[in-house]
Amino acid sequence: MKNWWKGKPVLSTAVLALIVIGCLGAPLIANHDPAGFYLESLNQPPNKEFYFGTDSLGRDLFSILFYGGRTSLGIGISAAVIMAVLGVLYGCVSGTANDKIDSAMMRIMEFCGSIPPILMMLILTAVVPASNMVSMSVLIGITGWFSLARMVRSEIRQIRHSEYVLYARCTGGGFFYVTAHHLLPNCLPAVMFAMISNVSAAITMESTLSFLGLGLPPAQLSWGSMLSLANRALLYNTWWAIVIPGLFLVMTLLCITNIGNYIQREAGRRHG
Amino acid sequence: MKVVMFKQWAKRWMWLALEMLLLSILVFYLARQAPGDPLQSFYGDAMESMTEVERQAARERLGLNDGLLVQYIRWLTHALQGDFGLSYKYKMPVLAVMKPLIGNTLLLGGMAYITVFILAVVLAIVCAFYEGRLPDRIICRIGTIFYYIPGFWLGVVLVLVFSINLRWLPSSGAYDVGMQKELGNRIRHLILPLAVMVASHLWYYAHMIRNKLLDEMQKDYALFARAKGCSRSEILWKHCLRNVAPAIVNLMAVSIPHITSGTVVAEAVFNYPGIGNLAVESAKYHDYNLLMINVLLTGLMVFVGSFLAQAVNEKIDPRIKETGVIKW
Repeated sequence: MKNWWKGKPVLSTAVLALIVIGCLGAPLIANHDPAGFYLESLNQPPNKEFYFGTDSLGRDLFSILFYGGRTSLGIGISAAVIMAVLGVLYGCVSGTANDKIDSAMMRIMEFCGSIPPILMMLILTAVVPASNMVSMSVLIGITGWFSLARMVRSEIRQIRHSEYVLYARCTGGGFFYVTAHHLLPNCLPAVMFAMISNVSAAITMESTLSFLGLGLPPAQLSWGSMLSLANRALLYNTWWAIVIPGLFLVMTLLCITNIGNYIQREAGRRHG
Repeated sequence: MKVVMFKQWAKRWMWLALEMLLLSILVFYLARQAPGDPLQSFYGDAMESMTEVERQAARERLGLNDGLLVQYIRWLTHALQGDFGLSYKYKMPVLAVMKPLIGNTLLLGGMAYITVFILAVVLAIVCAFYEGRLPDRIICRIGTIFYYIPGFWLGVVLVLVFSINLRWLPSSGAYDVGMQKELGNRIRHLILPLAVMVASHLWYYAHMIRNKLLDEMQKDYALFARAKGCSRSEILWKHCLRNVAPAIVNLMAVSIPHITSGTVVAEAVFNYPGIGNLAVESAKYHDYNLLMINVLLTGLMVFVGSFLAQAVNEKIDPRIKETGVIKW
């Protein structure tokens, strides 16, 4: 049992756990009102009262950071779930269908995937403003599932003619039975890994859109909306309002990626 | 043989046209579904003082009372003649709004594109040469970190450091007032956006090419070359790189949407006068005509890019003509 942590992403897990616990326990940690504007202390550098300083609206960065993390992580996870559901469904149908339908479905996806994601988001945010958590997650979810679907489809096409699948079908297994019991379990490790990297992609997309002013407004706390005040912070040259939320964002993304890579390696090893 | 080739080309052109048509339908439909009265964005505050009769007349004049299909066909016939409508915000034809900005974007995007791929190939070769040893591991680590830093944040941090505190480089725009023609000034403005784009895209491609090269190194012919006494670098340069070339070209084609996305973000952060920044602005101000042409142009670029890649690949590796695909 010695050195059981070797090769495992211990540091990433610990840091990510700390951030997640901090976000869940935001009301306990915050020492200021997250909705409060401390107008007498705008743009304060980090000090004893405001641990991470205050931003140009006079909000306490330390307190809103954890509240904002709730939104960012929430959007990341729910968008990744939406992507996984859509991707698996589409991939399963396309992978099990006959060649004509399959190639048509692939064509459609190739077409959708060829529009730059951020432009697609620009059009969609014009139709459905991504100004709250739900619409933001849905928008990111429906624009990001293409690669997952392609992956599921190619995995399924590799194994759908194998003997045990043929046997299952001969003995009367229907489409749903065979898919759920024989085809999907094979793609599970790949889907798991894709989901984890989709969480970070979704968090990045959320923060980018909010930064551009097309996502969550500053009143709706998230790491992205906190950074949407970055241009004002540049004006006042208050580095803490830019660097601290960004570092939390980047640390979270890197931890998630490290854990995802570990899971993928493990799955690969078990596969042989 | 000639006929077959011609058929293939015709088929591909058809696909290109069909894809553009589909894209335009999609974008048109979405733009018309968007909330907000088009009259409001067209007339702005002047709408408040209009009477109901005037509003109806204006709607009729702008053709907003017709069915969606009629509107689309009218838009399409105008579009085919090069008339994409007026920008609501600038009160000018959208093409006139975009024209001065396209060059700037192509400059930034093109430079980034070339730099990313040259550096990606170099890094991939270095990594593949030192596989699993220290240089490879260090490059992989740093590359991953940069890949996951959101581009916009990196941009803001660079501005904070290099423009505001060190005062080395300008923080926004493509040139200073009146210095449009001066090359040095332009280059100074390009450095930061370019750095952001390269940093956030480079590793993704370098990593893919590295893995592809390493796969190639495992193959029998590489082993044979090794047995003959070729050095590792010789095998990499002379044998593997050549076999990976079509895959790199293909990667370059499919990377266009990705890099275009990067241009949008970089332009918005640095307030660079390009079509990416314009797209963000037009989405913010609900200027749909402008947004539509922007998306259509980008879409066209992407489709043409993959089209060209296919052609180049067939020149490099005739085997692709038969299978038509490169597997990643």
